[in-house]
Amino acid sequence: MDALYSVAMRLTRNRADAEDLVAEAVTRAWAALDRLGNLTLFRPWVFRILRNAFISGRRSKAARPVESSYDHVFNDEGSGDVASLLVEESDAFLDWWSNPERRVSNDLLGEQIMAAIDELPGAFRTTVLLVNVDGLTYDEAAEVLGVPCGTVRSRMKRGRTLLQKALWQQARDAGIPDRTGASGVES
Amino acid sequence: MSEHGNSGTPEEIGCLESIETLYAYLDGEIRDPADIAKIEHHLGHCRSCFSRAELERRLAVRLRAAGSQQAPDSLQERLKDLLRRL
Repeated sequence: MDALYSVAMRLTRNRADAEDLVAEAVTRAWAALDRLGNLTLFRPWVFRILRNAFISGRRSKAARPVESSYDHVFNDEGSGDVASLLVEESDAFLDWWSNPERRVSNDLLGEQIMAAIDELPGAFRTTVLLVNVDGLTYDEAAEVLGVPCGTVRSRMKRGRTLLQKALWQQARDAGIPDRTGASGVES
Repeated sequence: MSEHGNSGTPEEIGCLESIETLYAYLDGEIRDPADIAKIEHHLGHCRSCFSRAELERRLAVRLRAAGSQQAPDSLQERLKDLLRRL
C-alpha cells in the first residue's frame, strides 16, 4: 500500500490525485483479478495498472494543472556519457565518502540527497526514486515506467553514478573535503 | 589481479564488469549464485570497488530514509470501504 501510494505521489505530485489514482488502480485490479493467472506477479501487475490509470487519467483530464506532460517522468534520459564519470572518479573520493569517520556521513543528510536527485535527468531520477526510495523491484519499476527490465537496470547504473557525482560536487562546493582533510582530490 | 583457476574459486572479473553489475547486485537483482560469488570475490579483493560498494550501500540507506512516503490513514479507510462495496 505504501509503495503504491508513494509511486502515485511520484506520478501525480499531488496528494488528492495520488489517492484517487490508487483507488482507481485498486478498483481496476479487483475487477480484473481473475485474469491474473499467477498471483506471484500481483505486485508488478498492480503497478502496471496504476501506470495505465495515470496515463488514461492524464489524457482525459488534460486541463488539470500539475503536469501537462509526463515525458519528464518516463522518457527524459538527458545527455552525456556516464562512462567518463566512472573513469574520472578517484579512489580518494570513494575512500573519503565511504569512511564512517568522515563528517560527510553526517553532513550529506536527506535534504541534500533529495536535492541532488532532483537535478538528475527525468528518466534516471524517476527510476532511482522508484527503486531506491519507494522500494520497487526492477520488474515493478519496469511496469510503472513501461520499459524493459534491462532499461531499468541501465538507468539505475547511470542514475546512481550521476547521483554520486552530484553529491561529490555538492560536498566540494560545501568545502567538506577541506574540513575532513581530503582536499586536493580531483573529480 | 591474480588468476584464479582452482575449482570452487569464483571466476575473476575486472573492475569494469564489477561496476556494470554493482547496482543490480546491491539492489538484490542478481539471482544467479555464481554471478553473486564473482562480484563478492571481486569486492573482497579490490579496494576501489569495495569502497564504491560501501558508498552505494550507505547512500541506498539514506535514500530510503529520505524520501519514503506512507499512505495516509484516509486512503486506507477509503480502500477498505471500496473493497467492501465491490
